[in-house]
Amino acid sequence: MEKSIIVKNITKKYKLYNGTKERLLDLITPKDYGEDFYALKDVNFEADKGDVVGFIGINGSGKSTLSNIVAGIVPETSGSVQVNGQASLIAVASGLKGDLTGRDNIELKCLMLGLNKKEIKELEPEIIEFSELEKFIDQPVKSYSSGMKSRLGFAISVNVDPDILIIDEALSVGDKAFSEKSLDKMMEFKEMGKTMIFVSHSIGQMKKFCEKILWLEYGMVKEYGPVEEVMPKYEAFLKDFKKMSRKQRLRYKRRALKSQNQKQMS
Amino acid sequence: MKAAITVLKEQFMNFYLIKRLSLYEMKSKNRNNYLGMVWEVINPSIQVLIYWFVFGTLRNRAPVEVYPGVEVKFFYWLLAGFILWIFFFKSTIDGSKSIYSRLRLLSKMNFPMSIIPNFVIFSHFYVHLLMLGITIIIFQIAGFFINIYYLQLIYFIFATFSFIFAVTLIISTVSTIIRDVHMFLSSTLRMGLYFSGVLWPLAILDRFPSIITDIMMLNPLYYLIEGYRAALFGTEWYFIVNWEYTLYFWAIVIVFFIFGSILHLKFRRHFIDYL
Repeated sequence: MEKSIIVKNITKKYKLYNGTKERLLDLITPKDYGEDFYALKDVNFEADKGDVVGFIGINGSGKSTLSNIVAGIVPETSGSVQVNGQASLIAVASGLKGDLTGRDNIELKCLMLGLNKKEIKELEPEIIEFSELEKFIDQPVKSYSSGMKSRLGFAISVNVDPDILIIDEALSVGDKAFSEKSLDKMMEFKEMGKTMIFVSHSIGQMKKFCEKILWLEYGMVKEYGPVEEVMPKYEAFLKDFKKMSRKQRLRYKRRALKSQNQKQMS
Repeated sequence: MKAAITVLKEQFMNFYLIKRLSLYEMKSKNRNNYLGMVWEVINPSIQVLIYWFVFGTLRNRAPVEVYPGVEVKFFYWLLAGFILWIFFFKSTIDGSKSIYSRLRLLSKMNFPMSIIPNFVIFSHFYVHLLMLGITIIIFQIAGFFINIYYLQLIYFIFATFSFIFAVTLIISTVSTIIRDVHMFLSSTLRMGLYFSGVLWPLAILDRFPSIITDIMMLNPLYYLIEGYRAALFGTEWYFIVNWEYTLYFWAIVIVFFIFGSILHLKFRRHFIDYL
């Protein structure tokens, strides 16, 4: 089976500074300032061509960071990402320019994705139709509602026909009819054998759609496997986690980090 | 050297992209006012009138000697230099914030980021060409007719563009990392107007030791501005007559460009971390 995404030992470190003074000192002096924060720690996973992988995990577990790294938007601190084909990320705020009209934004976005004049001309009517914006397409994007914006963003990203599609909670906006239509489009992609990454909190959508699940916890991979295996465990975990008090959650976090560290050591 | 070639290659490979993006740049900037792009001309016109009024009065409306024995009215002399200055000023200020203000939109795996400052310059370049056209028309009415020396305008437009690109390549990178650089520039760059021979001829400095004039001439902008004037007033082949100055100018541009390319390529993958 051909591999589509190979992620090896990805670590993403952010620096937390106390004020601008530390930031400046860190930039100009060789000494280390600021506190390290690991958004991702030694993450490994592989996806075959045609896989639909879902990223799950509680808030702050590194789902979005990982999807951004795979999409090539955020650089990794160490490790390597190998992506075969063009990846396209769809996020709620997916880089639309408010001053320009929807139509201009379509061309702008397509240009940045590396399409030429002719391809854009061909795609434009399809995108406009899919987005269901009708006469609003010639209005500036800043006058759009959030649902309209995400519809436009989604319509563009989906219609440029990427090899790898990364969807970061983009389907949670928009009404039922549109998200249904989007899901249909995704199903179409699935049948075409495209690789997809799905980041969402909606367990229902995930179950319906994904084949594999990558469960992230505090920036580390907790589990990676088929939906039927991982999802029940995650649901059970969520049930427990909801019941925990603040203190218990903190203790849980500390324990999780510790056991992961030990795993790394050995 | 390799970095410089990479950056140059990106400019040529993505020329269509630069063209389209620069048009959108102008469009999105001027959408909100009724007069739209007309402001791009009105704004510098008003400025030039103000400077003409203030400095013309200060100098008692004395003409300026552009060439031994050739005197022109102050207004025309000012206009010829000012259109170049305003092109430089606006491109540099906009260029310095070009990368960090667009990063969220543009950070895509294969997007050639070195074209960002370039299309921002381009969007000002159209306005510059328009201003130059208007200036030429005014000059026809004023009696400075089109002559053979106009040919060097092509050279000087190219030189101006190269210089601005080399400068913005450096400062767009630096101000992405240290945002204060942009603030610093926007508050100090205006001073350059007074030191680049736009508002008053350097010949005034005759009374001082010649070293001061020499220092003022180290400013590459002075070379460009005098070149524009030589072309528009039809006095001489400026870049040939002053060939040592031409060499100095291009040396500066090349050094800036290589340095800017190295800096840009070194940091561009991590730009997003500085947001």
